[in-house]
This record gives sequence, structure tokens and C-alpha cells, in this order.
Amino acid sequence: MIRLEKIHKSFGSHEVLKGISGEISQGEVLAIIGPSGSGKSTLLRTINLLETPTRGKVYIDRECINEGRINIGKIRTKLGMVFQQFNLFPHMTTLQNVIYAPMKVKNVSRETVETLGKSLLKKVGLADKANTYPSHLSGGQKQRAAIARALAMEPEAILFDEPTSALDPEMVKEVLSVMKDLAHTGITMVIVTHEMGFAREVADRVWFLDDGHLVEDSPSKDFFKSPKSKRAKEFLEKVL
Amino acid sequence: MDRSVIHLDFERIWPSVPYILEGVQVTLAYTGVSLALGFICGILLTLCKISHIQPLKWFAGIYTSIFRGTPLLLQLVLIYHATPQLTGYDISAWQAGILTFTLNSAAYLSEHMRAGINALDKGQMEAALSLGIPYPLIMKDIIVPQAIRNILPSLVNEAIDLLKESALISTIGGADILRRANIVASEKYLYFEPLLIAGALYYILVMILTSAAHLLEKKLKTS
Repeated sequence: MIRLEKIHKSFGSHEVLKGISGEISQGEVLAIIGPSGSGKSTLLRTINLLETPTRGKVYIDRECINEGRINIGKIRTKLGMVFQQFNLFPHMTTLQNVIYAPMKVKNVSRETVETLGKSLLKKVGLADKANTYPSHLSGGQKQRAAIARALAMEPEAILFDEPTSALDPEMVKEVLSVMKDLAHTGITMVIVTHEMGFAREVADRVWFLDDGHLVEDSPSKDFFKSPKSKRAKEFLEKVL
Repeated sequence: MDRSVIHLDFERIWPSVPYILEGVQVTLAYTGVSLALGFICGILLTLCKISHIQPLKWFAGIYTSIFRGTPLLLQLVLIYHATPQLTGYDISAWQAGILTFTLNSAAYLSEHMRAGINALDKGQMEAALSLGIPYPLIMKDIIVPQAIRNILPSLVNEAIDLLKESALISTIGGADILRRANIVASEKYLYFEPLLIAGALYYILVMILTSAAHLLEKKLKTS
């Protein structure tokens, strides 16, 4: 469903992505891992064009989205995103955060989205926080609310940009467990993460990035058992 | 020798006090209408400033620079006297006052708003974009409401400035507090008393605005 073709991205004279190609199929859970500064987040952000590739093509459902006249807003409704810093809208309650986009973008009626919103909040364990403002939520609760918000648009895929990196250790688990449940629903997930245990357990496949290159693309079982590249081996030795 | 140097004779101007008090309405009307219109124009100007269309940016930049770079009194008399000369339209003091204060406060407010928007975490914009929300809705429902909350204190300051600067319309004949005090003064040949009353009225109005702002800020903080 997502295909990247020779993606390059430069910020000024600094080239962050140096020609990355790969494909993510429907229902797959992909973990993108690698050392800091390897370009993981930038790569993820090119998928929904929060970063525009300097060169190369991004295809969503066989449609090239960074060329010609494309309604990028419509494409983005297919690709939910969860951010490291949650980015909930602070002036809206949890429920308003969840239902705003489907109500305004998809023009779903208020009753329908409220029912949907409440059931999503229940799913992520925040049924009692519907009318709470984000400033009164813990980090873990915020991130779960953000996941519910992304799900409310009923996307085909969700992009996770280091979803647990800004959390206190005791809250990492509750977010990962919501993500684990999600992985079983058949939704496509692309996860930039430093949680190796989680990647090993939940991801179907792993992309290992180093210095802007996609060094390794393997099923996660194989990758964690015996990485093919020397660079990945070194990396795993350091973090595991 | 005089028993005292200062002679205050409030009794003689007492009958004129209601007349001066009526000026409060006029002053408040100038301030309120200009602030409301200036707020709307300020938002439009801010949108020009943060847009990616160069001519709009230039326009907003030059506009702001001119209105902030020249005296308000000059802008007022220019609009009041130049409009009839250029267009043949006989502009009233009320219209000239509202127009000048609106255009002027739009320039100042747009600077505050731009700063308020820039101060927002860019993650807000990214989260909204990633949900596929169209740009106009992002501005209207996500960015501007938060930016306004950020700039609320400077919005109140602008209202206070405007309230005090509105006294300038007395120079073109607007019947505000100051103008009325001056009229009473020249009728009775008493200057200190009516101007003192005018000063007290301005001060009270500003104090009311300030405490209302404190209340509002407190309320926003808790919600």
C-alpha cells in the first residue's frame, strides 16, 4: 500500500536520506530502527509528505502523491500519524480532539462521531477522560488519546514517530499495549521506535537505517536473531 | 496674600458633569468599534504575513511599518482632511476616527498575532495536517484560537492604549470625554476641574479593563 522509490531528502547541504526504496504491504507492521540521526523520522514523515522528498517518489495505493496535482489532504486522511510529542489540541477536550477531524473533514454527523469517539476512547482505556483537557492527562494518556484521534479517521495505515520516546518509563507499557492490540486488527503500521523488545515482538518486518541508507530490510524474527549487515549487528549489540 | 494658591470650584461645573459623563459612551464606542474591526483586519493582515505568497507578505509588511512608523495623530488628521480633498466625500469625525483607529490597531494587533502564532508548537500544525484538515479550517479552529489565547494580555493592552489614544479624536471634533471637558472648560473659564474629571474617568475605565483582563486570564488558565 505504501511504496517508496529512491527517496532523497536534503536540508540545505545536509543530505539526510540518500536514496531509499521499499514497499510496505497492507496489514503489515513495520518497525524502522537505527541509530539517532540515521533519518528514521524524516523517512516516516515523507510518507505523508510532512517532509517533501528532494528527489524520488512516494506511492500510496499505487498513486504517486508527490508529483502533479494531488489532493494531499485526502491522501493524509488515509494515513494517520502519532507523534513523539502527542500534539493534542490543548484547547479541546479529549473527545473533541478525537472527533474534530472526522466531523469537519469527512462531514460525519455529530451523533455518529460521538459514538465512534467514545468507543475509541474506551478501546484505548480513556472512557472516563472524554471531557478532560489534555493538560490534565498524563503522558501515557495523552499518547493513547492521540492514537484514538488518529484511528477516528479510519485510516488505512498509521505512522508512529517514536511514540514512546517522550514518556516516563512507567507509561511506556500502557502505550505499547494499545499499539499491540492495534497490530492485531490488521491495520498497516509503520513505527519508528527505539523499543527493540516491542519491535521484535510486534513487528512483522524491520527496516534498519544507517546514515540515510536502508541497510537492511528483513522479517523481524530473522533480523533480531541474525542481522545480515555488520552495522546492524553492532547496533543491536549496543542496544540489547 | 491669598489664603491658598489653588482654587478648586467644583460647584460651578457640577451642572456640566452629566455632559462630560456622556462622553464615556462616545469614548467607549470609538474604542470598542475600532478594536473589533481592527481585530478582524488584524487577523487578515496576520494571514498575509504568514502566507507563502510573497506580494501578500510585502503588502502586510509595508502596511504595518507605515502605521507603526508614523504618529497616530498625523494619520487621523490626514484621513480626516485628505479624504474630502481626494474623493470629495465629506468624512465625519466619527468615520475618520473609526477608520484611523481600526487601521492603526490592525497593524499593532497583527504583529502580536504573528508572534502568538509563531510561538505555537509547530507540532500543532503538523498534527492537523496529518489528519487531512484543510488549511482554512486549521487556521480557524486550531491555530488562531490558541494564538489568541497566547496574545490575550497584549490584546488587553491594545484595548487600553486605544482607549487612551481615542482622546485624539477631540482634535477633529469628536465629542468624547476630553472634548466635552474642554468645552466645559472654555464655557466656564475653569480648566483644572473639568480636566480632572476627564482624567479620573479615563483612569477608572482603564482600571475596569485591567481587572476584567485579570479575571479573564484567570478563567482561561483554569479551563
